[in-house]
Formats: sequence, structure tokens, C-alpha cells
Amino acid sequence: MDKVMVELKNVSLNYHTVNGETEAIKNVSFNVHEGEFVGVIGPSGCGKSTLLSIIAGLLKPSGGSVKVNGEVGYMLQRDHLFEWRNIMQNVLLGLEIQNAVNDDSIRHVEGLLDRYGLAEFKYHYPNQISGGMRQRAALIRTLALNPDIMLLDEAFSALDYQTRLAISDEVWSILKNVKKTAIIVTHDISEAIAMCDRIVVLSNRPAVVKSIHEIHLTCDTPSPIGCRKAPEFREYFNEIWKELDVHV
Amino acid sequence: MYDTTSNMSKEHMEFLKKVKRKEIAIRTTQVIILIAFFALWEIAGRLKLIDPFLFSQPSRMLKTIINLSKDGSLFTHIWVTLSETLIGFALGTIIGIAIAIMLWWSSFASKVAEPYLIVLNSLPKIALGPIFIVWMGNGEAPIITMGLAISLIVTIISLETGFMQVDEDKIKLLKTFGATKYQILTKCILPASIPTIMSAIKINMGLSWVGVITGEFLVSKAGLGYLIVYGGQIFKLDIVMSSVLILSVLAALMYVLLVYIEKKIIKWQ
Ligand SMILES: Nc1ncnc2c1ncn2[C@@H]1O[C@H](COP(=O)(O)OP(=O)(O)OP(=O)(O)O)[C@@H](O)[C@H]1O
Ligand SMILES: [Mg+2]
Repeated sequence: MDKVMVELKNVSLNYHTVNGETEAIKNVSFNVHEGEFVGVIGPSGCGKSTLLSIIAGLLKPSGGSVKVNGEVGYMLQRDHLFEWRNIMQNVLLGLEIQNAVNDDSIRHVEGLLDRYGLAEFKYHYPNQISGGMRQRAALIRTLALNPDIMLLDEAFSALDYQTRLAISDEVWSILKNVKKTAIIVTHDISEAIAMCDRIVVLSNRPAVVKSIHEIHLTCDTPSPIGCRKAPEFREYFNEIWKELDVHV
Repeated sequence: MYDTTSNMSKEHMEFLKKVKRKEIAIRTTQVIILIAFFALWEIAGRLKLIDPFLFSQPSRMLKTIINLSKDGSLFTHIWVTLSETLIGFALGTIIGIAIAIMLWWSSFASKVAEPYLIVLNSLPKIALGPIFIVWMGNGEAPIITMGLAISLIVTIISLETGFMQVDEDKIKLLKTFGATKYQILTKCILPASIPTIMSAIKINMGLSWVGVITGEFLVSKAGLGYLIVYGGQIFKLDIVMSSVLILSVLAALMYVLLVYIEKKIIKWQ
């Protein structure tokens, strides 16, 4: 059995405001193994971002236990590059916060910029490069800290559809290549099926685990775009769609 | 950003020419209006359509300015007002930024300060003038304090609002890196608020002029505000008009300087 990287046991979280108490998460349990990509899908407002914040240690759960085996890297919905910093300064941000900027880490970051096609845009400002490139810069900013576990919170949803397909494909290969573990929150059922080894479906708020799906797609080229053509794709889609129980 | 001179299409060159022509037309019209205004003023005075004794006249203003600068007194007045304004402005900006940072840092302090800020903001600051004079005598101190009083509260309120409006997710991002509150302030809140700070500074500059001139009206032995009041009292409208003219030129120059500095600082836009 692979090493367990994230272990959630009966995790619950309540938000408190003067207007009352919001039960965001209730009794959520699942494990994430090393090298695994786990998708988290659920209706909007059900508590997905809250769950990631708990795993990242930004929020303390009201109940249950969370074990995280390694460093966590977080990618948010928009790239949140700082517009007053150029790309190089942006990707160094995390290292700067941790006082870890040195020759080694700079070389590492420059290697990443080089590998992912941003080397010549090092001194550009975020508003001078395309949305796809910005997302890649945001990924490098996270990878610069060498996290073991990547948390992606709707990381591609601000991009247009074509860019989104291309970038999610690219990010997937990058993360698989460097053998990261990932938890991917998304609204997009197809994206989850294409990118993940397992999908956790959450219920309406308060989020409880409705079901967990193991995804096995038969495809020649193991990449999210290639695997969208797999014969099992539709089945998974319909199954998850039914469980989400969307009413408009 | 892009090299457009080398291979520009004819259509694009036409377009650029049109833009340029329009720009020139705007500038020319602006200059013509200015010249026409002073020319009409001068002519109306000469033809006795208006009474130069009440309305003054460009030529008389010029004579007044030359006379006042001969003994150097004009420059003293300008310098007094300018230095008071700059000191009031600098104090307002620095103290304003410092207090806004404190209020951002402590939500308790911010909540406590809220009603006081609202009351102080609504209060017509000129009402405090006599108090400042009693406390500080009739030197430059009450005048500078007046400039400070008028600009400080607005600065604090607009900066604090600006700080609070910085994207929550940017702060969340820094927290995922393990940032301390001080790092969040210096790496994100302050740089993200530079446009807010610059616009507060521009407003501040304008308010400091208002404060200082008001202060000089109340109590002063020198300064443009003093000249204006003095000229009014002895019915020398030439002095009044000349001082107002100099004041508007100074204020405009200050503003242009600030816009220039802003462009230098915000290079990412
Ligand atoms: N700081 C907070 N204080 C109070 N309630 C909150 C807070 N943050 C989130 N909530 C509430 O908790 C619930 C879960 O929020 P969360 O952001 O985790 O949902 P989500 O599944 O990520 O939503 P979305 O799909 O819109 O991204 C929501 O009802 C939200 O209104
Ligand atoms: Mg969310």
C-alpha cells in the first residue's frame, strides 16, 4: 500500500458569525495516497474551499482529525500574481516569505521558468502576458517551494475553455512527472474525471462524503485530453451527474 | 512596448497622425482660451467696460508682481505659504498612513476609532482655527496645524478603506506560504495600495492648500493668504488678483509634479 499523504477522519467545521453558525463540513473522512490525484466535486457553497483550507492548515477543524504528511502547496482560483512584481519576483514570493531565497533556490526557479516556457518573460509584468502563461507562473510560484501535496481550488476556472483544457493538461503532466500528490477541487465533472484517479463527491452544505469513485479510463495517451475519448468517460459522467442532483 | 515604427501599415500611420492632430488641436484651443481670457480682461479694463479698481487688469497685475518682487517680499510670501503647505501636507500624509496602518493592524482599534473619525470628518475644521491660535500663538504653527487638520482625517479614512479592499485571496495566498502579519502588510497591503495612496496624496495636496490659506486668513504676518486679506482690506484688488494667480500656478505645478511621480512609481500599469 502506498504511503498515506493526507488522512481526514470525521472532520467537521462550523463557521461562527454574529448572525449565527454555519455548518460547512460534517464528518468528512477520506485518505489520499502518495502520487494520487483526488478530485473533490460538489455543489457550490458546499464547503470545498473550506476543506482545502483545513488541509492547508489555514483553518482548524471544529472536530475530527487531520494528518498531513508533507509540505502543502496551494493554487487558488485566480492566479493572484502581484501586478506590481514582475514574473521573476512573483515566482520568488513564497521563497521570500520563508526567507529561502538563495543561489540554489534561484537556480531551481530559473530551471522551472525555463522548462515551462517563461524564461524570456521573467522581467515582464503579469498584465503583459497571457492568461495561460500567468497560470503557469502561478504554478511555478507554488512549485518553487517543493511541496509534496498540491491543492488546486478551481485553479483553471478563470480561464477560457481552450486555454483551460490545454493548461489543465499541462499542469497534470507536470505534476505527474514530478510525482506530486494532488487534491483537485473543481465544478467541472469532465475535468475531474479526466485528471483524477479518484473522485470524492460531496453533498450540499453541510458537506458530507456522498460517494467516492475510482476512475479507470482506457486510453492510449495517458493525459487528460487524450483520456476524454475513453469509452468509460460517459458512464462516469452520468453517474456523478446524477449524484450531484443538480436542480435549476 | 512593441516596436511599431519599423513595419507600420499606411492605415495605422494615418490613424496615428489623426490622433496627433486631435491632440494638437486640443492643446491649441486650451492656450487660445487662456490668452483670450486675459486679453479680453485687459481690453475690457482699458475700454472702461469694467472698473480696473474693482476687477484689476492683467497689465496692472504684472506691474504689481514686478513691484512686489523688486524688494523680494513676494518671494518671502510665496516661500512662507509653500513651506507651510508642504509641511502640513507631509505631516498629513505620514501621520495619515501611520494611523491607517495601525487601524488595519488592529480591528479593535479600528472599531473603537470609527465614531470619532466620523465626527471629526464631518466637523468643519475651520471651526478649530481660533483654538489653534490660542494654543499655539500667531506664528506658523497654527497655520500648519490647520493644513494638517483639514487633510489628516480624510487620508486616514480613505487609506483604511483602501487597505481593507485588498483582495482576501491575495492574503490567503501569502498565508499558505506561512506569512506573518508584518509580511502581509509589507509584501501585499502596502504595494497593492499604492494607487490608493497616490490618489490620497493628490487630494491631500489640494486640502493642504485650503487649510494653509484658511489659516493665513485667520492669523498671519506673511504668505499669499496674508497678501490676499491685506490687499482686500486696503482695497488693492491688484494685489489680491496677483496673489490668487500665483497661488493657482503653484497649486497646478504641485499637482503636475505629483502626477509625474505617480507615473514613475506605478510602472506596472
Ligand atoms: N469566513 C466565513 N465565515 C462564515 N461563513 C463562511 C466563511 N467562509 C465560507 N463560509 C460559508 O461556508 C460555506 C462553504 O464555503 P466554501 O467557500 O468552502 O464553499 P465552496 O464549496 O468552496 O463554494 P464554491 O463552490 O462557491 O467555491 C458557504 O455557505 C459559505 O457561505
Ligand atoms: Mg470555493
